[in-house]
Amino acid sequence: MSATVSTTSAMATPEAEEKSRGLYGWVATVDHKRIGILYLLTTLFFFMVGGVEALLMRIQLARPNNNFISPDAFGQLFTMHGTTMIFLVVMPTLIGLANYLVPLMIGARDMAFPRLNAFGYWMLPFGGLLLHYSLLTGGAPAVGWFSYAPLSETAYASTSGTDYWGLALLVIGIGSVAASINLIATILTLRAPGLTIRRLPLFVWMVFINSFLVILALPFLNAAIVMLFIDRHLGAHFFMPSHGGSAVLWQHFFWAFGHPEVYIMVLPAFGIISEIVPVFARRPIFGYEFVAGSTVAIALLSFGVWAHHMFAVGLGHPIDMFFSATSLLIAVPTGIKVFAWSATLWGGSIRLTTAMLFAMAFLIQFTIGGLSGVTFAVVPIDWQVTGTYYLVAHFHYVLFGGTFFAVFAAVYYWFPKMSGRMLSEKLGQLNFWTAVIGFNTTFFVQHFLGLMGMPRRVYTYADLPGWGWLNLISTLGAFLLGFSVLLLLCNIIISLRRGRPAGDNPWQAWTLEWAATSPPPEQNFDCVPPINSRRPLWDLAHPENPDPIVGGPQSIDGFVLEKNRVGMVTFLVSESCFFLMLILAWLFYNSRAMTGPSPASTLDAHKTGLFTLCLLASSLTIWLAERQLRAGRPGWFRGLLGLTILLGAVFIVGQGREYFRLYHQGIVVSSNLFTTTFFTLTGFHGLHVCVGLVLLLILLGLSLAGDFKQGRLEAVKSIGLYWHFVDIVWIVVFSVIYLKLLL
Amino acid sequence: MTTSHFLISAWSWNPWVIAFCAAALFMGFARFRPQTAWLLLGTAVFFLTLCSPVNALANGYLFSAHMLQHLLLLLIVPLLILLGLSGGAVPQGFENGRWRWANRILRRPVAAWLMGVGGMWLWHAPTLCNAAVSNVWVHRLQTASLLVMGLAFWWPIIGPWTRQRLVPLAGMIYLFTACLGCTILGIIITFSPVEVCSIYLHPMDRLGILPLIQGNWGLTPAKDQQLGGLLMWVPACLIYFFGILGLLVRWYREPGQEAVGCAAARPPLMEKSYGL
Amino acid sequence: MPNNYIPVFDPASAHTEAISHLFITVLVVCAVILLIVIGMVAIGLLRFRQRPGSVDPPPHFGNRQLELLWTIGPTLIVIWLFILTARGMRESDPIPPPNLEPDLVIIGHQFWWEVRYPKAGVITANEIHLPTGTKWLVRMESADVIHDFWMPELARKIQLIPGQTNHLWLDAKKPGRFLGNCVEYCGVEHAWMLAVVVMESPEDFAAWLRGQQKPAPSPAMDSTRNGLQVFTAQTCVNCHAIRGVSTPAAGAAPDLTHVADRSILGAGALANSATNLFRWLKNPQAIKPGCLMPNLKLTDAQAGALTEYLEDLQ
Repeated sequence: MSATVSTTSAMATPEAEEKSRGLYGWVATVDHKRIGILYLLTTLFFFMVGGVEALLMRIQLARPNNNFISPDAFGQLFTMHGTTMIFLVVMPTLIGLANYLVPLMIGARDMAFPRLNAFGYWMLPFGGLLLHYSLLTGGAPAVGWFSYAPLSETAYASTSGTDYWGLALLVIGIGSVAASINLIATILTLRAPGLTIRRLPLFVWMVFINSFLVILALPFLNAAIVMLFIDRHLGAHFFMPSHGGSAVLWQHFFWAFGHPEVYIMVLPAFGIISEIVPVFARRPIFGYEFVAGSTVAIALLSFGVWAHHMFAVGLGHPIDMFFSATSLLIAVPTGIKVFAWSATLWGGSIRLTTAMLFAMAFLIQFTIGGLSGVTFAVVPIDWQVTGTYYLVAHFHYVLFGGTFFAVFAAVYYWFPKMSGRMLSEKLGQLNFWTAVIGFNTTFFVQHFLGLMGMPRRVYTYADLPGWGWLNLISTLGAFLLGFSVLLLLCNIIISLRRGRPAGDNPWQAWTLEWAATSPPPEQNFDCVPPINSRRPLWDLAHPENPDPIVGGPQSIDGFVLEKNRVGMVTFLVSESCFFLMLILAWLFYNSRAMTGPSPASTLDAHKTGLFTLCLLASSLTIWLAERQLRAGRPGWFRGLLGLTILLGAVFIVGQGREYFRLYHQGIVVSSNLFTTTFFTLTGFHGLHVCVGLVLLLILLGLSLAGDFKQGRLEAVKSIGLYWHFVDIVWIVVFSVIYLKLLL
Repeated sequence: MTTSHFLISAWSWNPWVIAFCAAALFMGFARFRPQTAWLLLGTAVFFLTLCSPVNALANGYLFSAHMLQHLLLLLIVPLLILLGLSGGAVPQGFENGRWRWANRILRRPVAAWLMGVGGMWLWHAPTLCNAAVSNVWVHRLQTASLLVMGLAFWWPIIGPWTRQRLVPLAGMIYLFTACLGCTILGIIITFSPVEVCSIYLHPMDRLGILPLIQGNWGLTPAKDQQLGGLLMWVPACLIYFFGILGLLVRWYREPGQEAVGCAAARPPLMEKSYGL
Repeated sequence: MPNNYIPVFDPASAHTEAISHLFITVLVVCAVILLIVIGMVAIGLLRFRQRPGSVDPPPHFGNRQLELLWTIGPTLIVIWLFILTARGMRESDPIPPPNLEPDLVIIGHQFWWEVRYPKAGVITANEIHLPTGTKWLVRMESADVIHDFWMPELARKIQLIPGQTNHLWLDAKKPGRFLGNCVEYCGVEHAWMLAVVVMESPEDFAAWLRGQQKPAPSPAMDSTRNGLQVFTAQTCVNCHAIRGVSTPAAGAAPDLTHVADRSILGAGALANSATNLFRWLKNPQAIKPGCLMPNLKLTDAQAGALTEYLEDLQ
């Protein structure tokens, strides 16, 4: 029996106790553990909502020519089910788990930016509210969760459901990016001494890599939604082929987000399994480096496979073949992980707790889903099965049978840490078996339905041989699956009151979170155990046989980073992706011939060039201001800061006058695709400048009020970085639009 | 003309290339070590790039063949040459002698990155691209500059002496951003209707193989540009991708640096957040 | 009704045969890999169950050779699959030579298929007849949103995208009647956008085509004449073309010149029969709510007459 080291004492001041009690304590919290639990509770609620939507659809599909649900309502149901499950359930659940666990696993007190953390969480219920508010304003969105144009344009989707869809996704996306920036900064800067990057628990490593995927991919979606809004409300035609737009461009932009998104939904699940399987097999993970390295490979490749969602578009064989190659290649790192987890079992001493059962089901089910995914990478096969129930089966196998089963495993594994009580194993086993039987019954038959010709997103179907009874089996399975979720809910509620007390480390696990009490106190740790390997608690419990030291004794990573800088750089990388999409849209549309206003006839490069010089000069002044602040000359600092604001304001005024002039000539956003892309690109840049001016004014105000403490220099440097970024973007935008570079 | 006939007959014997290859082979065999195999491979690829039927196709017929040449000259040949030189002793004069200036340039990763990515972008500007095909001196300049820029680009990653290499994490960011750079260019070329290198729209059929290319192989100018863009994008990114994986392997193998005093370790309890 | 249970594995053309064989090969590979994984997990779970009183086994961190094996092995398999993919693409979707005139043009609408035979001057809807033994080049266009045409026994699926044309080869080795769907969500009645392809012998096809080329037969009896009157008096003529009777804007609604010949109505919502046609005319929104044909609130008599007239249009 290994001695668990309880290194925390649950002591807190009386004032803190008072503040954290009750509902107010939860609403106002910035503690990562509470925020993590809030995420999980919110997603549990939306999981129920999405599940009910699914069950309603399955009732409608249980027999042919059914009329339980009208076609219009069905369209709303499948759109809401997909959107809810992806954006309101799977992504936030994984973020919530990461929020709770990452600081504990790295021996930190909290996340790098606790208030940003809370902000990110509140975007979730707000976004969910926005999405569901559409039910009151004419109907939920009914264009599918990926909202293909031109079906999502006002001509074909006239209710405001699509708008609420877009708004909700933008809001939730902001929350996700904020959470990911926070996770990156936390993991890079707040690790306990001795916890080098190579010693990170695999869950933390995968969450780390995953966070990069989030910050890079979500801006693609944001750009696409913004362009759709401009189409829908400002009369533009980004995606309207009837006026020169391109429906295929929506698909490219969406799937450039959409494919990394599916890896975003699965990498943290891989991390969960990588933590749970070793603990219950009583062996370290087989091949840590390969598992960690394959995660990087998946993350890199995931940006190069998106057009495998578009093999039926007719992009041409060369393009199809290249994306087929990358899609086939991405199976290899995934396979490495599956083999590693399976091999971890061998030579171990396996305890089949409920968490382990769910993890084992994950292994098999995810493999099935992954292999059906490989069949999609073979283009001619995709040409038969895409858009059918075979595809529905595939993604439910990876997302539900995969990710969500991993989440179930995580619940059984970490619930003791979060609540101090164990979940009932008996109920857990029942939960597990109903889930496995229910899940596979529901979705395995759908592979056959797809091969038999049943398309997805149909509200009913003809009475063709076999379709009726296979659909019925699927429906019955769905209800069993729903029942199993209720069992989980019961287990949680009952165990919260009457579960066995858990103690610090009920599973005799080896990562740092198990060194804290269950639940951990607000500061997580009073002191952290020494860390020399990937399993610090193993080393503590087995001093005669510790793990080999990873990276040599007293090892540090070769870098020291400052968290505000990391946060800002990460944010700027994310914003660059957003601008990249707008620039690509500009290049795409302006490289074609079109009628109406053109750059030559409308733009004044010389005048804009002058204003550009002002903006570039403002970069110089803020850099000088930083130096003055560092040299301890606040007067100079304020002066230069003021000058920066002035120069920035001149730029904005200049741009505003340009817009005004064009407006007076009747040249507006909707005139043609040149004006649309012009106003969108320069408009968003101008917006970023305005935000920058507000930040600078706040800094100036604080400085004038004499409120410049020691740490403010970091804030000034970060805002300076933002300002330089805005300038660099303008240099690119100016070159591309006014100097017609690349055209 | 059939494909096999074309493959056999369309070789050119460029004296400059042959001289360069001979010199490289001589240097390689003079001081033969296991790494020299890479150097030989690099020389072979260089020869194939500039003397094989690929060269014939790139000379005014196929934009995609031209892209393939770029790729080989900028990314593969320098990589192989540097691998061949790795582990050798630092030549005299590089650190402190007459070649100090070269060392100072090669040492800066930003400059190297700009040369590698910039070189790719530069030679795709339509005027320059056309000039390289039509004017033989511009073509030679292009070949030489691609080689030099490629060597500069790979220097911080697999340069012969390890002291000047980037730490693996920085190297991964270096390669990742380069991948982004070539991805953007590749996407633009593949999907835009702009003719990047308009000279390939109407090739002069000096060898009589136009029916073979556009008929049997089905490579119309539109498909050719698409293929060229894809070559620029996918294989190039795969090279960067495997480079990143290689750096990952190198990083995990490293014994790890020693802590310099205790100043670097920051106890987490003393963190206070001033920022966001 | 389709002749078979699993259309994807019951190919009727050389193209889908190539896909079917490829699919089976890939499925076998996937099955083998799945069995290996299931084997590793199941046997691992059984052999290495925790025995009572056991302690943690000594740590073992991996085996480099094994890891390389399961990296390189799958990479080789994947490269082989790619080669099969490239070959399969060529075999199942040959690229049409540029500037070849299509033999058939299909235009997707919400929620029906407009079918044109440009060389024969025939326009029909939802039901396509083709001769066996020849490859027909089909051009795909869309009049509104993105649709996706899929005949699992005959050809790959391909999207119909507004602003773009796509091409598909359709052919079959033997005669048969094949059912397909729209496979890209195109709006509220996406589920009822079926298409029927009838592959028949060249002689039967020629006869059918000749029949289609004739204008609509004039009504012979009183009942059918009444029906024609209803057709012209109500707003039907504004949308539906009947050659010889009405020529509205192209593509507004299915061409009805030989509607009685077709086996389905409402793009698959109903089988074509007099009773069904009557029900449809009385209230199309009750059968296919959200389709673009409004409820004209016809009386029973009007609907009856119209049914008689339309069912006469062979």
